[in-house]
Amino acid sequence: MPGFGLTLGFTLFYLSLIVLIPLSTIFIRSVTLGPQHFIDVGFSERAIASYRLSFGAAAAAAAVNSLFGLLIAWVLVRYDFPLKRLVSAMVDLPFALPTAVAGIALTAIYANNGWLGQYLEPAGIKVAYTPLGVVVALVFVGLPFVVRSVEPVLADLGHDVEEAAASLGAGRILTFTRVILPAIGPALLTGFALAFARGVGEYGSVIFIAGNMPYVSEVSPLLIVTQLEQYDYAGATAIASVMLIASFLLLLLINLIQIWSRNRMTA
Amino acid sequence: MGITVSGISKRFGGFTALGDIDLEAKPGEFLALLGPSGSGKTTLLRIIAGLEFPDAGTVAFDGVDVTNQPITDRGVGFVFQQYALFRHMTVADNVAFGLTVRKKRDRPAKAEIARRVEELLDLVHLKGLGRRYPAQLSGGQRQRVALARALAVEPRILLLDEPFGALDAKVRKDLRRWLRELHDRMGLTSIFVTHDQEEALELADRVVVMDHGKIEQIATPETIYNDPASAFVFDFVGESNRLPISVRGGTAHFGQHPLDLPPHEAADGEATLFFRPHDVEIVDDGAPALPAVVTLARPRGGATRIEASITGREAPLELDYKGDAPPRPGDRIGVRPLRARLFGVQ
Repeated sequence: MPGFGLTLGFTLFYLSLIVLIPLSTIFIRSVTLGPQHFIDVGFSERAIASYRLSFGAAAAAAAVNSLFGLLIAWVLVRYDFPLKRLVSAMVDLPFALPTAVAGIALTAIYANNGWLGQYLEPAGIKVAYTPLGVVVALVFVGLPFVVRSVEPVLADLGHDVEEAAASLGAGRILTFTRVILPAIGPALLTGFALAFARGVGEYGSVIFIAGNMPYVSEVSPLLIVTQLEQYDYAGATAIASVMLIASFLLLLLINLIQIWSRNRMTA
Repeated sequence: MGITVSGISKRFGGFTALGDIDLEAKPGEFLALLGPSGSGKTTLLRIIAGLEFPDAGTVAFDGVDVTNQPITDRGVGFVFQQYALFRHMTVADNVAFGLTVRKKRDRPAKAEIARRVEELLDLVHLKGLGRRYPAQLSGGQRQRVALARALAVEPRILLLDEPFGALDAKVRKDLRRWLRELHDRMGLTSIFVTHDQEEALELADRVVVMDHGKIEQIATPETIYNDPASAFVFDFVGESNRLPISVRGGTAHFGQHPLDLPPHEAADGEATLFFRPHDVEIVDDGAPALPAVVTLARPRGGATRIEASITGREAPLELDYKGDAPPRPGDRIGVRPLRARLFGVQ
């Protein structure tokens, strides 16, 4: 292939410059801790609780977004209605909004005297200052990823495939589960992965609504910032390293699943 | 299974796609819906299939009204122009789909489904390709998978929307012949949509020519070609020349030239004369005929195709000359239509 050497070389150079070199400093820094101290900090009870919250809430939020993001993408692709452009633009708002603004807005709504909080709280559902609040914030910031990943694939799928399924006697549910869902599966997975990755690293919107109680509603990025504020740079990089490796392994896994499912379609 | 369409109308917004259509397909018949794009032929097919519902009128299969039945329950096979195969399924799974989505009590056993799929793949000459994915097949092969998939549910009616539209000429021709055989062998009643007149004339028992949501003519290919019912049909099917003429005292005139036409019963007034390139006699200049100047002459089939310009008409006439001494460019000739049709100007 002409240009392969040049383009690959540039790609690697660029990735190194933008991604690899900055990230490698995290590892270099954390190595100065020594293995015992690294484990003590990186896998302390408080750190593990924060990992559980960060990854768990990100997964839950990505799952919620996969469901409703698919629904929104469906509506945007399949139907024409007035102000459709406006609705479509609204989907992208979480991309653009400073996350702190989102966090403050969500907190205001879900606090016990907020618009929604005043009804939810008497019903026994506490959102603000709980892990549930973290999930709500991550659902907000992750929404565009699923919608924008699924939309083009859904548009490309074509209505005739659904009609073909119907002509062969398949009802709506069977058509969806056997024809549409498998076809958009890889794109949905991409959206899930992006929303998940965003959720794991999210800081700004979460810290306002989470309440940040250690062991309960404290996310890993916040824990890292806490360490930094105490000038414990090595400790911060230890936690960061653990997150980084875990995130990388999860994204790699999702990528492999995608390659596998995509190969089945185009091999 | 017979199909009866009566009084079907369909509008999309302010656009009348179909206006009061009546059509009947006898059991075992192979019908072609032929027309330009926007003529309503695809809409009509989709209404017969149950993919679209009419604003007025009824569709009946063997006398049973199915107008309000969705396609899921009509038991028709439908083949889409772009194949509409399920990309994530193997060829075999595509073909089996109609059987595997049946309710448990109607669903054949796994082994039976596999056997049927083999049989169908054999029928469409795709034996051994069951484990491939649609992306690994050529266009013609994909269309045959689509056909096998439609036939798997044993429909009595097969509806095809531009089935060969996306294929190249050679493949089209082979598939055409093969589809006709399949139709006859399986005792189907088939309707297919096409904008390709050659395809319609070659394949169908009867051709339904449509324009602007109306049926212009329903007839056998011979009648459609030799005895077109309207100016539109004459123009649309086969090659033709059209001349604006006026009829005065029972005689047609092109400008000041009286034309020596075969008998016709056109009323006096403006009219359009149609004739096919091979239905003319080329005579020497000066005889009572249309005076024309040859602009192009080149061999074509067993004849010489001549293009001749004629005063007062922009497009040249297209004529076939079958003799041994074809006129050359620049020659003045007389053109005398042997078989022609006059249609009054609406």
